[in-house]
Amino acid sequence: MTGTFFWQGRRVPFGEGQTLAAALLAAGLRDLGGPDGRPARIFCGIGACQACAVTVEGLGVVEACLTPAVDGMRLGPAMTGDDHV
Amino acid sequence: MSDAPVLVVGAGPAGLGAALALAQAGVPVVLTEQRDAIGGAIHRQPASPQVPKVLRPARHARSFAMLAAGLAAAGGRIDLRTSTVFLGLDGADNALIDDRRRQRVEALSPAGIILATGAVEKVHPFPGWELPGVMTAGGAQVLLKETGRAPDGPVLVAGSGPLLLAVAAQLAAAGNPPVAVLERGRPWRRPTALAAMLASPANVAEGVGYAARLLRHGVPYVTGAAVTAVRTQGDDLDVMVRHGAAERTYRVRHLLVHDGLRAGASTGITETRDGPVPVLLAGDGREILGADAAVADGRRAAAEMLALLGRGAASAGDEQTLGAARRFQAALARLCEAPPPSPPPETLVCRCEGLRVADLDHLRPDASMRELRLVGRFGMGPCQGRFCGASVAALRPDADPSLKASAVPRWPVRPVSLASLAGFGDPAARTNPRIHQDTEDR
Ligand SMILES: Cc1cc2nc3c(=O)[nH]c(=O)nc-3n(C[C@H](O)[C@H](O)[C@H](O)COP(=O)(O)OP(=O)(O)OC[C@H]3O[C@@H](n4cnc5c(N)ncnc54)[C@H](O)[C@@H]3O)c2cc1C
Ligand code: FES
Repeated sequence: MTGTFFWQGRRVPFGEGQTLAAALLAAGLRDLGGPDGRPARIFCGIGACQACAVTVEGLGVVEACLTPAVDGMRLGPAMTGDDHV
Repeated sequence: MSDAPVLVVGAGPAGLGAALALAQAGVPVVLTEQRDAIGGAIHRQPASPQVPKVLRPARHARSFAMLAAGLAAAGGRIDLRTSTVFLGLDGADNALIDDRRRQRVEALSPAGIILATGAVEKVHPFPGWELPGVMTAGGAQVLLKETGRAPDGPVLVAGSGPLLLAVAAQLAAAGNPPVAVLERGRPWRRPTALAAMLASPANVAEGVGYAARLLRHGVPYVTGAAVTAVRTQGDDLDVMVRHGAAERTYRVRHLLVHDGLRAGASTGITETRDGPVPVLLAGDGREILGADAAVADGRRAAAEMLALLGRGAASAGDEQTLGAARRFQAALARLCEAPPPSPPPETLVCRCEGLRVADLDHLRPDASMRELRLVGRFGMGPCQGRFCGASVAALRPDADPSLKASAVPRWPVRPVSLASLAGFGDPAARTNPRIHQDTEDR
């Protein structure tokens, strides 16, 4: 599926089958705003480092590098603690 | 023996090798993979058929085609569940899996478990490694395989090991040759290691092919050079590099780092053969032997599992392949061996918890690994020490090894949303002491 998702309200286009990580990087969005103002960013690409964690509306906290983009998805920086075990 | 399936976690070469061997022996398999497609780190598939293929040796493409065909032929015997993350084991040896598509956590009671979750890249910390724009070389490589597109702007590749060469050549072939490849080791000064590698001609040919590609694009391969620090400079990065006695700064858009691969870090779960549910490791997650050997190691683990379950005899057919891979990897390790520069106090060690070298220095010099975790909180964030664990161990080489990171069991191995857990029916699992410990720690 090709489409658009929203990073903190900003439109991010994605290509067929792409992960959130690939689309965010292609759009030049590198700082994903980690906890306590520390930068978060796509780092290992394989779901291990958790530095690419983002909050997706309706899904909770997921790794951007593992999650396929879906048209209309709304996401933003991951918050620690709250909706997250 | 019941007809309970064997759970195989990870659909890379090792997991596929294991699942196919089990299915061939008539054992039902549940194969879970966190991504939406099979392949693992090496065979990460393009996001769509339009995506251009990345430079790679023909034998890798052949190997993947064989595994994919085997999976198709196994039919219903292998229940493949993609987008499904293995979370860990609960107190009753149930395997908890998170179906991300249905947002549902499920407890399986398999006859046995083979964890084929792959390796994690090593990254030695330096000031600024946590900045946006710094990525692992392997991470950049899997994204390149997914999108067919190299990152825009100048790229520097640095660290140690053969993956640097592969990634640099693949970037060059995709239209963005890196400004340089910085190898910390000095492979030309290790002739015996070089000679030992000749026993694996396919790997050597692959390396020579990458080197030729870099030569053609005029990409310098600098040995004995190490990154000492990185700073942001507007949208760019200033990368400080020490090369012998000389220092220089590269201004680039992206820095790709990699210091080799680490086994065993991906779930932290160790093998058990005598419990009610045997757990075996396979592939690079057990021992770094490379992609070709990972398939053989998956088969080896499957044979051992069949023997443990009384459904067959362990075969030794793959031992030769594994032995050759082991010798090759040992030679590789000697070839590039070089200690990283010691990181200054301000260096971030544990990104999740925001802990620096200075914080580590404040802890008792004789603190055990367990104390470093529970008191110092090193490795207690969401990555669970998959990255910082190796750095802490390197900075505290004398910390009691009997109390290594895995001595502090944690569940889950990955984040899981409360929404998914809410649908999870088994109350016994919710009162698991390990879960309690985990929440109290936060
Ligand atoms: C980023 C990276 C890039 C690499 N590139 C190369 C290369 O170019 N050439 C080369 O020769 N070697 C490369 N390697 C080495 C490579 O790991 C091995 O040679 C080979 O892929 C090992 O196969 P494996 O099946 O053991 O692991 P992998 O191929 O890593 O497969 C593990 C699988 O398990 C899945 N998984 C992990 N954790 C979970 C979980 N909790 N739940 C569900 N699924 C999970 C992963 O998504 C993955 O598909 C790379 C390694 C890494 C980490
Ligand atoms: S980039 Fe490391 S988990 Fe996604």
